[in-house]
Amino acid sequence: MARGREPQALSQRFEAEAVEALLAGYRPLPGVHDEMMDADGQPRPHWTPMLAALAEMGAEEVGKRFKAADRYLHRSGVFYRVYDDPKGGERPWPLSHLPLVISAQEWRGLARGLIQRAQIMEGVLADLYGTAELVRSGALPAAAVAGSPEFLRPLVGVDPHGGSFLKVYAADLGRGPDGRWWVLTDRTQSPSGAGYALENRIAIARALPDLARSLNVVRLAGFFQALRASLTRLDRSGEGRVGLLTPGPLNETYFEHAYLARYLGFLLVEGEDLTVRDNAVYVRTVAGLKRADVLLRRLDADFADPLELNSGSRLGVPGLVQAVRAGGVAIANALGSGLVEAPALMSFLPKIGAQMIGETPMLPNIATWWCGQPAEREEVLAGFDDYVFAPAFQRPLPGLMENGPVIGADLEAPQRERLISAINTRGVDIVAQETVHLSTMPVWRSGKLEPRPFILRIFLAATEDGWKVMPGGFCRVSDRLDARAVTMQSGGRSADVWVLDEGPVDHITLLPAPGDVEIRRQTGPLPSRAADNFFWLGRYVERAEAMLRLVRTLVGRLSASAEGGGSAVGKMLRLLDAWGAVPGELARARPARHVLAALTRPDLPGGLPSLVESARATASVIRDRLSPDAWRTLADLSTLAAEPVSSGSAEPDAYERADRALRGLAAFSGLASENMNRLAGWAFLDLGRRIERSIAICRFARALVSGGEVTAGALDVLLELCDSQISYRSRYVMVEARAPVLDLILLDPANPRSLAFQIDRIAEHLDDLPGHHDDEPPLQEERLAARLAAAMKSFEADEFDEERLLIIENQLMELSNEVAERYFIHRSPAETPWEQLA
Amino acid sequence: MGTARVIYEIHQKTAYTYAYPVPVARHVLRMVPVDRPRQRVIASHFSIDPDPVEWVETTDFFGNRVAHVRIERAHTRFVVRTNARVEVEAADHADPEAGPSWEAIREMAAACCDLSAGSPAHHLFPSPAAAQSPAITAWAAASFPAGRPMLAGALDLMMRLHGEFTYDPKATDVSTPPAESFAIKRGVCQDFAHVMIAGLRGLGLPASYVSGFLRTEPPPGQERLQGADATHAWVTVWCGPELGWQGLDPTNALRVSTDHVVLAIGRDYSDVAPVGGVLLGSGRQKLSVEVDVVPLAPKTTRSKTNG
Repeated sequence: MARGREPQALSQRFEAEAVEALLAGYRPLPGVHDEMMDADGQPRPHWTPMLAALAEMGAEEVGKRFKAADRYLHRSGVFYRVYDDPKGGERPWPLSHLPLVISAQEWRGLARGLIQRAQIMEGVLADLYGTAELVRSGALPAAAVAGSPEFLRPLVGVDPHGGSFLKVYAADLGRGPDGRWWVLTDRTQSPSGAGYALENRIAIARALPDLARSLNVVRLAGFFQALRASLTRLDRSGEGRVGLLTPGPLNETYFEHAYLARYLGFLLVEGEDLTVRDNAVYVRTVAGLKRADVLLRRLDADFADPLELNSGSRLGVPGLVQAVRAGGVAIANALGSGLVEAPALMSFLPKIGAQMIGETPMLPNIATWWCGQPAEREEVLAGFDDYVFAPAFQRPLPGLMENGPVIGADLEAPQRERLISAINTRGVDIVAQETVHLSTMPVWRSGKLEPRPFILRIFLAATEDGWKVMPGGFCRVSDRLDARAVTMQSGGRSADVWVLDEGPVDHITLLPAPGDVEIRRQTGPLPSRAADNFFWLGRYVERAEAMLRLVRTLVGRLSASAEGGGSAVGKMLRLLDAWGAVPGELARARPARHVLAALTRPDLPGGLPSLVESARATASVIRDRLSPDAWRTLADLSTLAAEPVSSGSAEPDAYERADRALRGLAAFSGLASENMNRLAGWAFLDLGRRIERSIAICRFARALVSGGEVTAGALDVLLELCDSQISYRSRYVMVEARAPVLDLILLDPANPRSLAFQIDRIAEHLDDLPGHHDDEPPLQEERLAARLAAAMKSFEADEFDEERLLIIENQLMELSNEVAERYFIHRSPAETPWEQLA
Repeated sequence: MGTARVIYEIHQKTAYTYAYPVPVARHVLRMVPVDRPRQRVIASHFSIDPDPVEWVETTDFFGNRVAHVRIERAHTRFVVRTNARVEVEAADHADPEAGPSWEAIREMAAACCDLSAGSPAHHLFPSPAAAQSPAITAWAAASFPAGRPMLAGALDLMMRLHGEFTYDPKATDVSTPPAESFAIKRGVCQDFAHVMIAGLRGLGLPASYVSGFLRTEPPPGQERLQGADATHAWVTVWCGPELGWQGLDPTNALRVSTDHVVLAIGRDYSDVAPVGGVLLGSGRQKLSVEVDVVPLAPKTTRSKTNG
């Protein structure tokens, strides 16, 4: 805000008028608390600086800034996945740009209340997985515990490694009409959203940089620092390795898992990456098994171990529970922590909490009646219309509540009868809750402010010095005006949360202070699964490139020649066909049709859309290790592949597409070779590319120079396919001849597009990979590479006929298999033995 | 009622044969009986082949004996052998018309203040292999008119189940959910038990799943029991603090006494599966189970209610 030189009074008057204009038309909902505007229609003091700044900027400028925030989120590739989307699609992150502003004083109260509640949650977990005094004393019916699918019986009596169940706790809060905050839901299983909150903060801080600073918005990094320290401390192996255990890229918040892993410096692992040996957990890496003493768990506990928990799980780690029992691994949050998320518990927590801390908890939860008790059941049935009904445990109730809670008053007669009868026979499955009306906050809609209901999620981390609260949060803002909490199940947008400090805030970043940095050149071992994906990413990208070169060269020859099947065009078409890039039913169509199909049809296994999709699928699994720019070039390629075919002539369209796609691939290669750390990940990516490129060179050569008579035209095509025309011209002042062309593209170790060059790189990579020692006998893949290198040196260009090229091609494929065998996880499906009882 | 005791000599051999060598396997084995009310394990021995590299024995939540083993040698055959000598005491069968009504049981179970293994609270809810089914619940409700004593209702349900269902080993497999076997009214002991459990729990009544052994050859003059050639399964029903858990075998329409030896107890099959695990490698597997349950000292007098 630039208001230094103006007279104070004038500037204040101007400010007040501008704010008034901004607020004109903003009407809070009747009977609902509004965060920004008080009951008299005046902005609350802690909102005015931001409102003034927005007013001063003007609607147009604000709109521009917010668009910049969206662009940032898009560029960073922030997304979430929608489970019920039939395409399983990734959705761009919907940001509601205006942050929720919370005053320092109000925040202190909230933080104290939340810390208390976190302590109560921890206490309840310790009791229920221990002596269950709460049940014995009658404070909590056994069925309210045993009914939860998150009461994990194999974990009863097991003390959590590190002394506590919860390392992270989060609560969803809503503010009622009386201005009090209420806990709507407790999150103890594996709270999500902290990473998204961080991304929201970065996006908004970019849009409104001066504002965030001048308002003294408290920074988030300190919280993450504390969380990281608290988890790292549990590592007893001293290797400093913390794994972030994710269910994988199909999970709706996978982006956040990858993002947090990178931000916190943890190793992103899936169940398949881990193995349990003698009660300890290990990561399978390309350098062998490495201890993983600490796991930050984003996988639901039930799925964590198919041996002792859900036997249908294919995402977990067999034997993990046994390792936990033996104290061989610390899991945050401990397996079984999800138990205290059960709505059934909420009906007992007010009393239990008070008993546990010796006073009435500061932060109440939403009033809840568990229908497993006769008195509560009668009360609920008598006032049926006043309640919201929800499953008592984290388990949907088929035929009653398949998609979450229902509102009593909204039910039609048959549903109502069904629910009442279910409450009477199996009340243990159901809770009734009061209907909560949420408060509203402003959102920015085409230059204006409008009120919308929201739910605020706040995160806490257990540290050595007690619970730390993240000064901010993850705010979900409804798209609709209905302020009843129960209608906020899905959809909506998220907003940043600004906690204002009274003084200037400390600048903490996750980068350690310069004196504390321990120099490390290793970024830790590469999990085998990541290596596998890097390798295949390299192969798919290169396969796409070879196909595109073939297409571009082919289109370039179409206008020049109208020769028949024996021509270079015919050979290229046959090659495309052999690669599964052209459709069979087009056999008699013009070549341009074939080529366009190769570039656009998603049903062709060797076509551009399929290859790009495969590349993206492998890349999505190693997203934590790819730069956002590299990821984006892949996203751009799939957009390109999906562009509709233009109605005009096929040839220019195909040429243009192939050319643009090749440039996109060149950008990817550039980013990969310039920006990726030259460690194992890059080595596997490049190894994959080199092997695929070698195979393509052999195939090009086989297709074009086979048979006796070879035309200059075919040799020219071969040079173009191998991107070696310029080298050839600079070396030979003559038309293309078989021996010099083959020498250049096969044997010349100085030509970066030659087969010999690729084979040298392959040998170098193999030499650098873990497990290779100079003083030991060579491994099988090294022998193969040596044999290939020898072939490059011991034959003349003339001697490379179809048969010899085929032998080389087969050796390359064998080499690829050997690499996979040694370094990757073998994905044969795991099976479960069965025995039917008679 | 006689004060009968029977001592059984139990031999079980379970063998899996794989089509392709399995390089790595982890198993959870629940193959050894433990002491329980009316049951005393005099001796037991348990072995597996091939030799595991890890072998950890624990007791699970429900008190079953569990062995965790890891095998790291390529094998095409996995064999588990159990030998046990177990003494079983005859049950003192309570009068079905005595004891609390089923409605009272439902309230008692929901209000129960015990979270230990024997608590009915664990057996009130849908479990992984015994999902709730409105159809089964509606069918089970006919056995529980208002005010009927719990045990009488449960016995009636058992008799109806036995009467309406056909024992058919080909109709179902190990993962058939109760709603499916109920729809075709066919299955084996596991299906009979799951259907009965789903029906009782649907009404808010606690029922648990028992795996175990049946006496192989019947006493003279009696019929051979169904399920004696493999591991058997039945149900126990909670009938209040006085009567406790009552064993009912719907496959044989029988109240449990000296013919049954308990191996493991849980919420459903998934809690007690004799051999659970994860194998690396694929291909078909073939299973053979041999069970012999032979009374050692036939000096017993059998109780009449067993006949």
